[in-house]
Amino acid sequence: MTSTLRTALLGTAFGLLMAAAGPLLGPLAGPAAAATIKVGVVAPFSGPFALVGKTFKEAIEVYQAQHGDKVGDDTVVFIYKDLDQANPAQSKALSQELIVKEKVGYLAGYYFTPDALAVAPLIDEANIPCVIFNAATSAITEKSPRYVRTSFTLWQNTVPLAEHMAKQGIRKVVSAVSDYGPGIDGETAFKTTFEKNGGTVVDTIRMPLKSTDFAPFMQRIRDSGAEAIYAFLPAGPTTLAFAKAFADNGLKDAGIKFFGPGDLTQEPDLPTLGDAALGITTSFNYSRAHDSALNKTFLAKHKEMFGSTDSVTFSSVGAYDGVHVIYQMIKNTGGKSDGAKAVDSVKGMSWESPRGPLTIDPQSRHVTQTIYLRTVEKVDGKLENVEKVAFEKQPDYGYKVGK
Amino acid sequence: MTMAGRTASRTGVAGAHPPPAARRDLGWIGIPLVAVAGLAAFWLLPDDLALLTRIAASALFVLSLDLVLGYGGIATLGQAAMYGTGAYAAGIAAVNWISDPFALLAVGGLAGGLIALVTGALILHAHGLTLLMLTIAVGQIVQEIANKARDWTGGSDGLSGIDPAPVLGLFRFDLYGRTAFLFALAVLVVALMVARRIVRSPFGLACRGVKEDPLRVSALGGSPKSYLVALYAVAGVFAGVAGALTAVTSGIVGLDSAGFPWSAEALVMLVLGGTGRLYGAVIGTAVFMGIHHILASSDPFHWMGFIGLFLIGIVLFLPGGIASGAGRLSALLSALARPGRDGGRA
Amino acid sequence: METMFGIAVDGVAYGMILFIISVGLSVTLGLMRVVNLAHGAFAMVGGYIASYAAQGAGLPYAAALPVAVVLTVLATLPLERLLYRRIYGSANELAQVLLTIGLTFVIVAGINYLFGPTLKRIPLPELLTGTVQIGSKAIPAHRAFVIVAGGLTLLALWWLLERTDFGIRLRAAVDDPAMAAALGIRTERLYLATFALGSGLAALGGVLGAELLPLEPYYAIRYIVLFLAVVAVGGAGSIFGSAAAALALGIVDTAGKYLIPSFGEFFFYAALILILFRWPYGFFKGRTA
Repeated sequence: MTSTLRTALLGTAFGLLMAAAGPLLGPLAGPAAAATIKVGVVAPFSGPFALVGKTFKEAIEVYQAQHGDKVGDDTVVFIYKDLDQANPAQSKALSQELIVKEKVGYLAGYYFTPDALAVAPLIDEANIPCVIFNAATSAITEKSPRYVRTSFTLWQNTVPLAEHMAKQGIRKVVSAVSDYGPGIDGETAFKTTFEKNGGTVVDTIRMPLKSTDFAPFMQRIRDSGAEAIYAFLPAGPTTLAFAKAFADNGLKDAGIKFFGPGDLTQEPDLPTLGDAALGITTSFNYSRAHDSALNKTFLAKHKEMFGSTDSVTFSSVGAYDGVHVIYQMIKNTGGKSDGAKAVDSVKGMSWESPRGPLTIDPQSRHVTQTIYLRTVEKVDGKLENVEKVAFEKQPDYGYKVGK
Repeated sequence: MTMAGRTASRTGVAGAHPPPAARRDLGWIGIPLVAVAGLAAFWLLPDDLALLTRIAASALFVLSLDLVLGYGGIATLGQAAMYGTGAYAAGIAAVNWISDPFALLAVGGLAGGLIALVTGALILHAHGLTLLMLTIAVGQIVQEIANKARDWTGGSDGLSGIDPAPVLGLFRFDLYGRTAFLFALAVLVVALMVARRIVRSPFGLACRGVKEDPLRVSALGGSPKSYLVALYAVAGVFAGVAGALTAVTSGIVGLDSAGFPWSAEALVMLVLGGTGRLYGAVIGTAVFMGIHHILASSDPFHWMGFIGLFLIGIVLFLPGGIASGAGRLSALLSALARPGRDGGRA
Repeated sequence: METMFGIAVDGVAYGMILFIISVGLSVTLGLMRVVNLAHGAFAMVGGYIASYAAQGAGLPYAAALPVAVVLTVLATLPLERLLYRRIYGSANELAQVLLTIGLTFVIVAGINYLFGPTLKRIPLPELLTGTVQIGSKAIPAHRAFVIVAGGLTLLALWWLLERTDFGIRLRAAVDDPAMAAALGIRTERLYLATFALGSGLAALGGVLGAELLPLEPYYAIRYIVLFLAVVAVGGAGSIFGSAAAALALGIVDTAGKYLIPSFGEFFFYAALILILFRWPYGFFKGRTA
């Protein structure tokens, strides 16, 4: 009898839970109103990279709060689609749905390279512009003339860094990258540039993407006798483990210098990295600590709307500036949907962003921007990427270099 | 209620079989029903064809898992190895040599069948957790090979540029996905018919015999392992075709198609729908992906929690899967109508 | 030589973490025959509690560790009574997989809801930061601590199972549940106690291993394959089997990464296939078989 009771109780509890979860889901997006221009954003909103989706969404909302949600008479509405991990087939299906069902005039977002690459045939067939907020492999914009990118590429960040390292008199370096597209882009960019400037890359290590224990790689770096390392891993859990392993295995104390693109020390990870991050030198297109009036207004508005700026990082400005480009496209085309024309209209466009001056290169449709050399330091007891040197007007060196 | 709960916890998979007569009836209705439901969805949801196409192709993949698990009793978490191999084989063929969609499906099926035959012969001596781990390991190795063979597969960037020719030279794969969906639906329906023939053939019955009592099969002079390997290879063909179907309809193949999560997801969808009844695979896939889609498009943050609760609920209250729900309901009603008896099950 | 030593130390430390987490899974699988895919989630819950206790409530590491273990056990015990009890036994494999995956999803969503998707860490005390010199190799103090803790766990488990009344009853129930029940051993309570032991070990490993297996909501899904591999190789229900398997896999993985970094994954899974081919029931033939 007790078992009947228990089954019944469990059933009730379960039913209640389902009922409680129902309202959380909220209503679906309503039908299109007149003079509404829809922008579909595909990004991870759940899963290990959920933070990226959050930064995109927050940046978009900040931009709309600052500049209004209207361009001329048209209201701009953003529709979000969750793509929790790199899954090109799913990315294509979601984008297709956005175009066919939601009738979006613009596609945006895309954190992972494969997800961005997957939509090339779609945007060409539907003649829709696609503004990439992050995906950083150089080859993407070669695949369709309707891609515009407001983030960065591995080449763009790595070339000035490698030149800087060579100028500092560093001669022997190990490159350690995650074994996937962008990692290999970074390795190639580094090796090419650094060796051209007279340095030697003594070992190139490609680490499996899923590694969490980095001690063996540290041993290998140590045994190679390098003075410094160039490291790239995708932002997230692995980066933390890598930076910690670097400090814990005594490489930091042994005086080996740590360089890499700024993904390694993205702002939301800094508190978790703790003191292990101190002294890591990275090159990147944005630091939350960037000293400019525009950045301060951006951060202030963000804080006002979301209570804190802890999550603000490179993907925030990627989205923020991406929205700016979309607004310009809408303005230039008078709200008519013509992807090719919209993209043409922003080629060569320059503007001032929270990260500094930006120009859309007419050839690569990628932003030419200032790359900053930063070192992790404590500012008012909080870890920040403090900018040391600025390399102005850096284009995407990887465009049409081939693999 | 008590009885239902208890039978449920006792039987799990094996007890989900309805009596033979009911199976035959439902089996006949099942396939035309899938076709009709698919066509109805085509008319009713013209804007959701991309999703429906993915559901059809995934259902075929889950069906292949049902052949292995529901009819051979092989617990696997590596079915995506075959799916991924099929998808990559078809994708590579499409990029380099052929573009006819049917030929691509054949390539995928062949590749999936071959890899299943080879790995099946290697690992099917094991049981339980060991077998589970071996299937996972095979899947990981296939994925790693795809990652390493970057020149052929595009590595982590995915294999893009798959542009299949029009179906029968007439119907182009359009932006709205009409051709893609009808093509996928047709393949699924044909596959269901073939699968039904297979499980009802002497070979299929022998496999079920192995599942239920391997000792007896070997006592009768059959080799349980060779039956299982053959079944594994046949299911590999289905999985390979499913992979190729996804490659053809979506035009892209990613590393995730051979990944562990995809195998696990397929298992969840299958058990959700009910094992050992073929159309359970279709129901499970449609429900799982449908819910995922609705939840993810409104509030993605809660989808995992919701599907988790859903799964727990299925195990506790509907252990045979959704497909068994109707049968159980009628059994429960007749038990209530005749109190004191428990549906003649004893 | 120095390199070999380095690989050995790193491999052993990694293996010990795998051991502490996986042995709990092995014990519950051996006794209750339940494939608990939510085991990784329990480890994660332990880690998050310790992280919150240390960072939110300001407890020192030495206090946060036991608090996390005890709270995890208390949080998971109701699950045993409500959910797991229904699916014990090897006939329910599929139901087990489905139910525990469902539970894992719920826990992942819950952790994501409560703590957000970012990484959480458990601040280490002064004593455990920095490096320790062993011979010519400098190893992180934390790793040395993990190796010692793993060794102690192994000893304690051995003592518990071989030398106490609880252990005798547990082994009897594993070997022959019906006979054990007939002899008056209350299997229900035994199951509850074993389940508590399993989730306690998971939590312990989750806390100790937070530096190697970083805490984030997907932890529960990301590492469960690793833990299952250890159990499969070691043989379900065998403590020394788990230890041997965890160390072997830890060392193979470390050596593979050092020698051929870009084929690290290959190494691990190829080794897994070879071992399971040679010893289909694990190093120490599992008690379930």
